Amino acid sequence: MEQSWRQAKSIFGLLLSAPLFWLAFFFIVPMGIVWLYSFGENRGLVDIAFTGTWKNYARALEPLYLGIFVKSLYVAALTTFLCLVVGFPVALAITFAADKWKPWLLLLIMLPFWTNLLIRTYALIAVLRTEGYVNQTYEFLWTNAGGLMTLVGLAPLGEFQPLDLLHNNFAVIFGLVYVHLPFMILPLYSTLDRMDRSLLEASLDLGAGHFRTLWSIVVPMSAAGIASGILITFIPALGAYLTPDLLGGPESQMIANVIERQFKRANDWPFGAALSFLLVYLTFIGIAIQGMLDKQNRGRAA
Amino acid sequence: MSSPRHLANRRSLLAGLGAAAVGISFSACSKPAEKAATDGAEEPKLNFYNWDTYIGETTLADFKTATGIDVNMQLFATNDELFAKLKAGNSGFDVIVPSNEFVTRMGQAGLLKALDHAKVPNMKNIDPQYLNPSFDPGNKFSVPYTWLVLGLGYRKSKFKTVPDSWKYVFDSAEYKGKIALLSESADLIRLAAKYKGVSLNNISPEMLTQIEAMLVKQKPNIRAFHEDNGQDMLQGGDVDIVIEYNGDIAQVMAEDDDIGFVVPKEGSLLNSDTLCVPVDAPRPNNAHAFINYILDARVGAEIYKTILYPSPNAAAKALMPEDYKNNPVIFPPADILAKCEYGAFEGAEKASQFEEIITRVRAS
Amino acid sequence: MTQSVAKVKKTPPGPLEYMRRWPMQAWLVGVTVFLYAPLITLMIFSFNDSKRNIVWQGFTLKYYVKALTNESLIQAFTNSLVIAFFSTIISVVVGAMAAILLWRFRFPGKTALDGAMSIPIVVPEICMGVGMLVFFAKVFPWPQGMIWPLNLGAIIIAHVSFSFPFVAVVVRARLASFNRELEEAAKDLGASEVRTLLDVLVPHIKPSLLAGGLLAFTLSLDDFVITFFTAGPDTVTFPVKVYSMVRFSVTPEVNAASTILIVVTVILTFFALKFQGSDALTAGHGAADKK
Repeated sequence: MEQSWRQAKSIFGLLLSAPLFWLAFFFIVPMGIVWLYSFGENRGLVDIAFTGTWKNYARALEPLYLGIFVKSLYVAALTTFLCLVVGFPVALAITFAADKWKPWLLLLIMLPFWTNLLIRTYALIAVLRTEGYVNQTYEFLWTNAGGLMTLVGLAPLGEFQPLDLLHNNFAVIFGLVYVHLPFMILPLYSTLDRMDRSLLEASLDLGAGHFRTLWSIVVPMSAAGIASGILITFIPALGAYLTPDLLGGPESQMIANVIERQFKRANDWPFGAALSFLLVYLTFIGIAIQGMLDKQNRGRAA
Repeated sequence: MSSPRHLANRRSLLAGLGAAAVGISFSACSKPAEKAATDGAEEPKLNFYNWDTYIGETTLADFKTATGIDVNMQLFATNDELFAKLKAGNSGFDVIVPSNEFVTRMGQAGLLKALDHAKVPNMKNIDPQYLNPSFDPGNKFSVPYTWLVLGLGYRKSKFKTVPDSWKYVFDSAEYKGKIALLSESADLIRLAAKYKGVSLNNISPEMLTQIEAMLVKQKPNIRAFHEDNGQDMLQGGDVDIVIEYNGDIAQVMAEDDDIGFVVPKEGSLLNSDTLCVPVDAPRPNNAHAFINYILDARVGAEIYKTILYPSPNAAAKALMPEDYKNNPVIFPPADILAKCEYGAFEGAEKASQFEEIITRVRAS
Repeated sequence: MTQSVAKVKKTPPGPLEYMRRWPMQAWLVGVTVFLYAPLITLMIFSFNDSKRNIVWQGFTLKYYVKALTNESLIQAFTNSLVIAFFSTIISVVVGAMAAILLWRFRFPGKTALDGAMSIPIVVPEICMGVGMLVFFAKVFPWPQGMIWPLNLGAIIIAHVSFSFPFVAVVVRARLASFNRELEEAAKDLGASEVRTLLDVLVPHIKPSLLAGGLLAFTLSLDDFVITFFTAGPDTVTFPVKVYSMVRFSVTPEVNAASTILIVVTVILTFFALKFQGSDALTAGHGAADKK
C-alpha cells in the first residue's frame, strides 16, 4: 500500500518538486489573484479594490443563478452519462482489437478533436440545421416513401416537416457529447487495456453471458478508469459555453455562459470570479468527502 | 513558406533581443511606451489590432512600400475581448479599432492615448457630420473608420410587405420559431426601447421592466439568440427574420436574391468603429502615421471597396463607384437614419444591469 | 447473442475477439459516422465557391491557395503546433510525476495537493484566462519581442498549467492496476529507487502516458480562451486566429485551413507512430501479463 514519504525522501522530493513548483507558481498565483477579485469591487472601469466583501457571493447564490447552476449540473451529468454509454463499447473494442490496429483506432477517435472546437461546432450546425444533411436525408426518404405508398395505392405521407434539431436543448446535449467523447474514451481505454483477460475467459467458460461478464467483471475492474473518465468529462462539460451559445435555443444558457458574460460584456470581474469559484468550492467539498471515505476504508482495512 | 516579411520580422526580433533582455522586468508596470516616445526613433514596425475583413487587400503592403513600416495585423472578434485585453495593460498593440461606446469606456479608463491631430492632417477628409461625435468630443482619442446600423434581415418570399417595424421580432407571434435576436444584451434592450418609442439612452427603470416583460413574453416565439451569425441562419433557412448589421446582410444579399434588409421605421442603433492608439502603445509615432495613411482618399477608397461598409471619409467616398454610394443597404435612407442614435456608455453599473435582465429573460 | 452470426463465419471469433462481432462493429461504425459526418462536411465545404458555408455554389481550390498564401495563418499554424508539442511533453512529465507521487506516497498535505491539482480541471476557462492575463501582465511579464519560439513561452506555461492535471488523472487510473511487488522485487535485486521507477513503473504506465499525451496535445491545440488572454501581437495561435476570422461566419478559407491542419497532424502522427513502432501503446502486454 501507500508508503510514507519518510521512507524514500529523495525520490519523494524529486517527484514533488516539479508538480509543486508548477502548480504553485504558474497556477495558484494566477488563480489566487482571481480568487481575491471575488472578494473585490469594481472601482471605476479598470481597477478592482479588494474590499473583502461577500456581496459577490451573495449575488451568486440568488435563485436566478442557482437555478442556472442546477440546470447546468443536470446537462453536464446527462452528457457524461451518454458519453459513458457511447464510449465504453468503443474503449472495449479498441482494447480487444489486434495490437497493430490499436494506435490507428485511437487516432481515429482523436482525429476529429484536432480540428478547432469552433469550426467543429459550425460543422455540426451544417449537419443539424433545418436544411442540413440530416433533414435532407430525411426529406429524401420521406418523399420516396410517399411515392412508394402512392404506387401501391395508399394515401401519400402528407407534407414533409423538417425535424427541429438545432437551437434547442437536444442540440446542446448532442453537441456536448460530440465534443467530450474522447475525454471519456481515453481514460477508459487506458484502464481496460490493463485488464486481466484470464478472468474474462474464466467467466465465459463458466457459462456467464457476455453482458453478465461485462457487468460483473469488466465494469468493476475498470472502475478507476470510469471514475476518472466521469471526472474529466463532467467537469469540462459543466464549463462549456461555446456549444450552448451556438447550438442552443433561447433557454439553453449554462452557468459558463453567464460567467463568460461577466468577464466580458458586463465587465464585472469580481462577480464572474465569485461564480467561478463556487464551482471550485463545490469540487473541494467533493474531494474532501472522498478523502474522508478513503480514510474510513483504510481504517477498516487496518 | 516563410515570406520575406516573416524573415525580416525574425531578424529584427533577433536584433532587438538585447533590448528585450533589458526589458525583462518584474515590476508591475514597466512603461515601454514612454521610453519609445521620448527617444523618437521607433523600429519600423506596427502592431495593428483589427476586426476580420476590415482592411483593403493591399493596404498594409502599400503602407510598407510608402513608409517602410511593417504592419503586423492581428484580429479580435468583440469589443469586450479588446477591452479585457487592454485592461490588463501591456498588450503591445499600437493601433486598435474599438466601437463608439468602447471609445468612451476606454477613454474614461485611461487606456487610450490622446491623438496628436497635427500628425493626422488627413482628418480633413472626414465628413464633418462624423467629426466631434458625442462618444468622443473633439475626437480626442478616436478617428472614425466606418459606421454601421442594426436592422432586420428577412427572407423576402416569406413576407407580403417589408417588415419595417421591430414589432415583427419583439412583439408578434406571426413568425413564431422563425425569429433570431442578437445575444448582445445592451444592443437588444436598446432596440426594444426604440420599439417602445423612447430614446435608447437613459432608459428609465420602468421602461426596463416593461422591456423585460415583453422579451419574456416573446421568448417562446424566438428560435435563438445568435452570436452575430444571424446572416448565416437567415441564408440557411433556419429563420426568416433576424436582427443584424447592414454590412453583414449586404454580404449575404450578394449571394441570395431572396434576402432583404430594412432599418425599421422606429429608428435604430448606430455604431461607429474608430481608429485609436492605446496609452501604452510601444510605437505611437508609427501609429499616427498609419492612421493618417488610412484616412488618405485613395487609400480609403481601396479599403471601402473591399469591406463594403459605409465610409465617413467624404474624400474616399467621392472616389467610389455609384453602386456603392447608392446602395440602400450600405447607406440607408436619410429620414430613417435621422431617427437612429449612438448608444452612449452609461457606466459599468448599467452594463451589469442590462446583462442581468437578459440572463433573467433567458432563464425564464 | 452473437452465436448465430458467429456460425456463418469460417473461423468463429474467439470469446474475446469483440472486434469481430457485428454489434460491436456496428457500434464502432455508428460512432465513427457520428464523429466524422461534421468533419467531412467541413472538408467538402472547403471546396465551395462561396464566401460562406451555407449553400453549395460550385467547386474551387481558391481557398486553399488563399489559406496557403496567408502568411499570418501559416505562422499561427506553426505556433499552434510548436506550443502543443512543448506543452504536451512538459505536461506528460509533470503530470506523470504528480500521479506517481499521489499514488505512492502518504504525506502531510496530500489531500490539499490533490484538491489543488483538480482546480485547473474545474475552473472555467475564462476565469483561468483572466488569471493568466493578469499574471503575465502584472506579476510575471513575459518579455515581448523575444526570438521565436521563446516568445511562445507564456502560452506554453499556461497550457501546461491546465493540461498536466488531465494527464495526472489518466496516469493515476492506470497506476491503480500496478503490482507493487514488481517494484519491490526490482529493489531487492539491487536497483536504485530511480532505476526502479524508470525501468519498472514507467513501462507499466506507458499506454496511459500516451493517452494522457494525446489528451494534452488535443487540449493545447484546441484551446482558445486561455490562449487568447496570454497571446501577444506576435504569438497568435491557430484557434485565436480562427475565432477572430469567423466574426462574419466561417469562410471556406477557414475550412481549407482546418483541412490542411488535419492532414498535417495525421501525417505527423503517422510518422511518429511508424518510427515509434506501434508497441508504444501496447507495451505491457508482454509475456509476463499473458501468464
